[in-house]
Amino acid sequence: MNSLIRKDFPILARVIEGKALCYLDNAATSQKPKKVVDAISRFYLETNANVHRGVYHLSQEATDAFESVRGKVRRFLGARSEREVIFTRGTTDSINLVASSFGGMSIQEGDVVAVTRMEHHANFVPWQQLAKQKKARFEIIELTDDWRLDPKDVDRVLGMKPKILAVTLLSNVTGVTNPVASLATRFKMAGTTILVDAAQGIAHSEVKIDDLGPIDFLAFSAHKMCGPTGVGVLWGREALLEKMPPYQLGGNMIAHVGDLDSEWNELPHKFEAGTPDIASVIGLGAAIDYIETHGRTRIEEYEQSITDHVLEKLVQIPGLRLLGPTDPHHRAPIFSVAIDGVHAHDLATYLDMEGISVRAGHHCAHPLMFKLGLPATCRASFSFYNTFEEADMLVKALAQAPSFFARRRN
Amino acid sequence: MNYRDVFGEILADHHESPRNWGVLPDCTRVEQGYNPLCGDKVSICLLLDRDSSGSERLARCTYEGEGCSICMASASIMSEMIQGKSIQELQGLIEAFREKMQGSDEVFLLPAEDSGEDITALYGVKRFPVRIKCALLPWTTLKKGLEAAHAK
Repeated sequence: MNSLIRKDFPILARVIEGKALCYLDNAATSQKPKKVVDAISRFYLETNANVHRGVYHLSQEATDAFESVRGKVRRFLGARSEREVIFTRGTTDSINLVASSFGGMSIQEGDVVAVTRMEHHANFVPWQQLAKQKKARFEIIELTDDWRLDPKDVDRVLGMKPKILAVTLLSNVTGVTNPVASLATRFKMAGTTILVDAAQGIAHSEVKIDDLGPIDFLAFSAHKMCGPTGVGVLWGREALLEKMPPYQLGGNMIAHVGDLDSEWNELPHKFEAGTPDIASVIGLGAAIDYIETHGRTRIEEYEQSITDHVLEKLVQIPGLRLLGPTDPHHRAPIFSVAIDGVHAHDLATYLDMEGISVRAGHHCAHPLMFKLGLPATCRASFSFYNTFEEADMLVKALAQAPSFFARRRN
Repeated sequence: MNYRDVFGEILADHHESPRNWGVLPDCTRVEQGYNPLCGDKVSICLLLDRDSSGSERLARCTYEGEGCSICMASASIMSEMIQGKSIQELQGLIEAFREKMQGSDEVFLLPAEDSGEDITALYGVKRFPVRIKCALLPWTTLKKGLEAAHAK
C-alpha cells in the first residue's frame, strides 16, 4: 500500500550521510504528511485570528475551523458529545488534568490508586504523586513472563476496589496491547474510574470509546498519529467532567469574573484556559482526515503484516533478546531488543551508521526497565508508511550486530 | 566492518580490558555519576593526600561502572591519566577534555591514529554528537568528586 503513501511524506525522501532515511522511531513521534503541514501553514497564512473572542469575520472563521476539529475528534472516537472533547497540550497534559482535577476531588487517605507495570512515566508519575499527596495506596499491576498484564495480579488489585485505574492501551516498550474493554468492565463493577492512555494505541488501531468498555477518560496526542506536536485530546464522560473543578485558571475558561470569585465556562471550555495551539488543532483535524482517507482497517492490516514479518525474522536471530511477545496477536509493530554484552546506545549508534533511525534508552518507562533488569533497550517502531524493505534492513543489521560487536578473545 | 574499524583499537581495548577497575576501601570520597537518559553509571573512588611539598594530590583512583562502550572506555582512559596528579593538574585535564569534546569545531578522525596518548582516541566521538555526554560522564563525575572532597 505504501509506495504512494510515502510520497505524501516529503521527509521520507531524505538522504542522510549518503543513506536513504529509514525512520523506525514512530513510537516517539510519527512523520507528518504534507497535507497536515499545509493545513497548519494555510491557517497561519489565511485564517489566523484568536478563537472564541472577536466579533469580526476572520475570528469567526478561525473559531469555526478550530471547533470543526472538535467535531472531527468526536466522530473519530465515536464520542457522544463535543462537550466531552477537550484540547490539551498532549497526552501528558491530559493525564495531569485528570490526576489533578478528578484525583484532587475524589481521592482520600487510604484509597487505592492503581496503574500497571508497563505505564509510560506520563501515566505513572502523576498517579504516584497523587497517591503520595493524598496518603492513598499506590498499586502496580505486575506482568507475566510474556509481558502481558498478569491476570492474578489484576485480580489482586481488583479486590482492593481502587478508586482509579490508569492503564495504557498499548505499551510503548513491548508493543503489548491490553484488553482494556474487559478490564474496564470488571473494574467498573468495583466502582473504579478508568483512564486509558491511548498515546500509542491511537497510532496503530481504530480507537472507539464504545469498544473500550465503560472507561471514563481517554488521552492521546496528535503527534504520534501524523499530526503536529503540542496538541492532544482528553476525552471524558460528560457527567464526570461536569463535576470536576477546573485544572488551569485564566481566559476562556470563565463565564464571569467578580472581584472576589468567579464562575466557570461550560464544557469543554472550562478545561481550556488561555489561547490554545489553534494551528496545531487544525493540524490534528488534517491528520484525522488523512488517516481516514487511507482507512483505519487498511492501516491495521498492513501493520499486522509488517508485525508478522518482523517477528518471524527477529526470533531467528541468535543472541538477540526480544523484549516483547513473540506471538503476533494483540501486539503492535514496536520491537524492543537487546543483545547480551552490547549496550543499547552502542547498538543504536551502529544501526544509525547503517542508516536506521531507532530509539535507545529507557523509553520513559523506568518502572518497567527496572523489572527487565536493563538500564536501556533499543527500540524499532514501525508506521504504515514503512516498507518491508526497511523491515528487512533492520533484520539484516541486527543479525550482523553480534559480529560487529564481537570482542577479541584474550 | 566491526566495532574496531569504527571506533579504533584503543577504545575497544579500554572497553574490553578496563584499567583501575574496583573499589578503594579507605578512599577519601566515592562519587557516583549517572546519566538518566541512557542509564550509564560510574562510581569513582578518590584517595587524596599531600605530596612532600604539602600540596594536595590524587594519590589513587579506581572506578566501577555500567554503561555503553564509550562511557566505559572514557572512564578507563581517564583513570590512567589522573593517578598521582595534583588537584590543579586534574582541574586542567578535566577542563581541557571538556573543551575538546564540547568546545571548538575542531574535527578529529575516528578511529584515531595512535598518537601515544589514549585520550585522543575519544575526541573522534564528536562524530556522534549525542554520544559526547557518554564520554564526558566519568570526567564530570571526577569534577564533582573533587569539589565534594574539598568542601569537607
